[in-house]
Amino acid sequence: MVISPLRRKTLRDLRRLWAQVIAIALVLAAGVATLILGTGAYASLDETRARYYETYRFADVFADMTRAPGALIADIRAIDGVLAAEARIVKLGLLDMPGMVEPGTMLFVSLPDGGDGGLNRLHLRQGRLPDPQSLREVVVSEGFAAAHRLRPGTAFAVVMNGQRRDLLVTGIALSPEFIYALGPGEMMPDPRRFGIAWLPGASLAAAYDLEGAFSNVVLKLVPGASADRVIETLDRLTAPYGGVGATPRADQTSHAFLDAELKQLSAMVRVLPPIFLLVAAMLVNMTLSRLITLEREQIGLLKAVGYSARAVAQHYVEFVLAIAALGIAIGFVAGAWLGAGMAQLYAKFFSFPFLVFMRDPQTYAIATIITTAAAVGGALLAVRRVLALPPAVAMSPPAPTDYRSRLAGVWRRLSLPQTAVMTARHLLRWPLRTLSGILGVAMSVAILVASLWSFGSIDHMIDVTFFRGERQDAMVVFAGPEPARALYSARQLPGVLAAEPFRAVSARLSHRNLSRKLSIMGKPATPRLSRVLSPDLAPMAMPEAGLILSEALADALAVRPGDRVTVDFLEGNRRSLSLPVSGVSLGYVGLGAAMEISALNRAMGEGALISGVNLMLDDGAEADFYAAATTTPKTGFVAVMSLTLQRFKETLAENITIMITVYVGLASIIAVGVVYNFARIALSEQGRELASLRVLGFTRAEVSGILFSELAAVVLLAQPLGWLIGYGIALGMVTAFSSDLYRVPFVIGREVYATASLAVIAAALASALAIRGRINGLDLIEVLKTRE
Amino acid sequence: MAATAEITFRTKGLTKVYRTGAQDVHALRGVDFQATQGEFIVILGPSGSGKSTFLNIVGGLDTATAGEAWFQDHQLTALGEKGLTQYRRDHVGFVFQFYNLVPSLTARENVALVTEIARRPMQPDEALALVGLSDRRDHFPAQLSGGEQQRVAIARAIAKNPEVLLCDEPTGALDSATGIRVLEALTQVNQAIGATTLVITHNAAIREIADRVVRFADGRIVEETVNATRKAPAEVSW
Repeated sequence: MVISPLRRKTLRDLRRLWAQVIAIALVLAAGVATLILGTGAYASLDETRARYYETYRFADVFADMTRAPGALIADIRAIDGVLAAEARIVKLGLLDMPGMVEPGTMLFVSLPDGGDGGLNRLHLRQGRLPDPQSLREVVVSEGFAAAHRLRPGTAFAVVMNGQRRDLLVTGIALSPEFIYALGPGEMMPDPRRFGIAWLPGASLAAAYDLEGAFSNVVLKLVPGASADRVIETLDRLTAPYGGVGATPRADQTSHAFLDAELKQLSAMVRVLPPIFLLVAAMLVNMTLSRLITLEREQIGLLKAVGYSARAVAQHYVEFVLAIAALGIAIGFVAGAWLGAGMAQLYAKFFSFPFLVFMRDPQTYAIATIITTAAAVGGALLAVRRVLALPPAVAMSPPAPTDYRSRLAGVWRRLSLPQTAVMTARHLLRWPLRTLSGILGVAMSVAILVASLWSFGSIDHMIDVTFFRGERQDAMVVFAGPEPARALYSARQLPGVLAAEPFRAVSARLSHRNLSRKLSIMGKPATPRLSRVLSPDLAPMAMPEAGLILSEALADALAVRPGDRVTVDFLEGNRRSLSLPVSGVSLGYVGLGAAMEISALNRAMGEGALISGVNLMLDDGAEADFYAAATTTPKTGFVAVMSLTLQRFKETLAENITIMITVYVGLASIIAVGVVYNFARIALSEQGRELASLRVLGFTRAEVSGILFSELAAVVLLAQPLGWLIGYGIALGMVTAFSSDLYRVPFVIGREVYATASLAVIAAALASALAIRGRINGLDLIEVLKTRE
Repeated sequence: MAATAEITFRTKGLTKVYRTGAQDVHALRGVDFQATQGEFIVILGPSGSGKSTFLNIVGGLDTATAGEAWFQDHQLTALGEKGLTQYRRDHVGFVFQFYNLVPSLTARENVALVTEIARRPMQPDEALALVGLSDRRDHFPAQLSGGEQQRVAIARAIAKNPEVLLCDEPTGALDSATGIRVLEALTQVNQAIGATTLVITHNAAIREIADRVVRFADGRIVEETVNATRKAPAEVSW
């Protein structure tokens, strides 16, 4: 095969400029990789979830009630739009694991009588389903089994309805209902302290005195049916039996958290790849502009001997295409590899029985097209100008660069060293390139600011939630409402220093056409343990009548203090009334509404009832307290704040290291790519001047200093811009991520800017040092013999 | 020039061999040379005769393979990279064929670039006055003619008050009339600051303005002529 001379030149150019080629290819690769990683992981998780839901018949509507007669299920099945309905018993119990001091909770879910035919089917990992006649046999969730090393055949003990029972594991399973298995009162899944056990309905009914009755129903809807309408009817049917209002799939805990995660992933796909592709296009443009300037005479010659402008343009586009191809290839491999890793990470965090890897050729095709377009676009802008020149003009050397400017007098007055004047004039002579360099470096700073801020913000969230708001050491939630005197028995528990009652009531709050279902918390007039904080972090007193809503809820209902909201209680006498909004409080997790406890009880039309107690414990007496609290019959579950916080921090710590590594890596690729190319171009343009200065007696350090000060100017000017862009991206992310589930406080500390800048400056320094060898190797003799 | 004058340069057996692949190229084959302070020497010779290599070694830009080169009491052939840089910085002024001015600096700033790092510099304006360019001092190289640029280069070279002025084809890129103006500038500053001046040229016509003419061929000095009388640059032509 004969390679045309121009193509041979392309190959030689690639080899000659290999370092710059690789630097640009890596930036392109980062764009491709993040695109593939993001879309791939998103598609994989989305598809995995969809198939999991479909195969295991994940329900569309979920409803809890106190005790509904078995016959009610027929009425529910008859609701228009319901395809299938399954009556279940779902109850919380307590763990009694040997060697586990801290309290743990177990959620018991009844299995359908016919075995495995219903909704939310189990995926059995090991063993078998329990014998429907057995009172002992259970299937447990995989995470819990792993945390406690349970296998089919192992026995363990629980407290069900105040009574200790020994259970025998027959199988280990996963369920689409608990992909994200969050225990009551927890912020992060903790399989050690929260497990799910599935057991025959009869066994569970016996334990909770629910023979012939059920406490939970799950529905599968006819495709296209309105969940809202079904829920309306369902709520009406279950209300007499203590129904607290049904939840559509969108609000189901596991689903909602998974959804929030997917939302973040898709945000990453929207933000990161465009940054990389933009920077890559700028780099291609910069580098190719310089290459073309150097080859101006060759281009003139080529055109003079009869090559068409198109052929010449094609030559340079081929050069860029080769770089793009390299970048795309690296990006494909890295993206696929990281995508698989990320999906696996998600699969570990969320409990999926399988993982559908989506290798959508369309994603790869899109990545290829966008990347190529970015690179070729950058190239064409660079080539256009030279192609327009007539061959005769192109063949003669370009006119010397003219540095005349109106600023000349300014420099003289500044009395800077001449080397500084050189640097400044050189930067100002090519403002677009300088700006591209600044913007490129700024982008790498921005990526870091936009990713690192979240850690500080989480710290802030922890500080506010656990050290200013929820200051109790433990929370005991009773299995059902108890008379107020239960507070005094709680005070008697070992290790308790102080106790504070609370009442939690399910209710629907509405304002105009907006409504939300949540728990209203009743608290003492001036709570000392579980406090409600105002947006400026001051503790708020509970109003005599009226509600304090969290910011998220106030936004969701579009209300301000002074407005009135309709409250439909979903428990007790199910009263409806209108209450004023007395204040708005800070709250990061979930939707919150609080009021004074006796005002709440009055509003409900009930006597003095409490749902649980918040407790301050004596350091060192925790173990005794746990033991006593979990054996008290009234106890539904016990939440321990320090354990919740610890789990929260552990989970984040695992992710933070990975996240920081990835983001610093990505930012470094940009910083190195931009700074290295900028430096190489500056060196190519000024190499002759710098060599002349060496001849004149400037030392290597002085000459490097000239080039480095130019880089330093670009890198330093980029910092504030990068902070600003990063701030903007972060703000956009906060807005995008805010949901009813949680809202993220927007806190960017100085250390975020400092860390981002230091990381980028370190990367810039490394690439500057890579140029040093070339500066030291400048040929002093050659420069005297040749005209530029 | 009186023989008793102080010796600026002295070389003994100066040899330079370039090893390029299979074949060694002998650029200098044992050059013995001496120059006294303030002497104006023209070095002639065809391409590849070793004259540039010689100038580069005595200018501290290149190292010798064998032999010795001395500047006053510094043995250049014993200096390392740092020492050579310091030598160029303190003692040598260079003028190149292609001027090698910094395009982003004005005439005055190009001169100031050197005076900022020199030990006993003259004022940049003084140096520009010596080459007759006071009125062009705020112009950038792109605004100056080739001859003017070369005179700026000379001003830059002499502004540090060097003991040595080394010029490699200073008129090579210029037409005759402009070249003569540049040579006038060179002879003027040679007299004004008393720097030993070595001028490499292809142009034999220039030899008549020198105190002494050294001819290189095949890596050796093959001929030395002392001019009894020096012509002024204006009297020569080519």
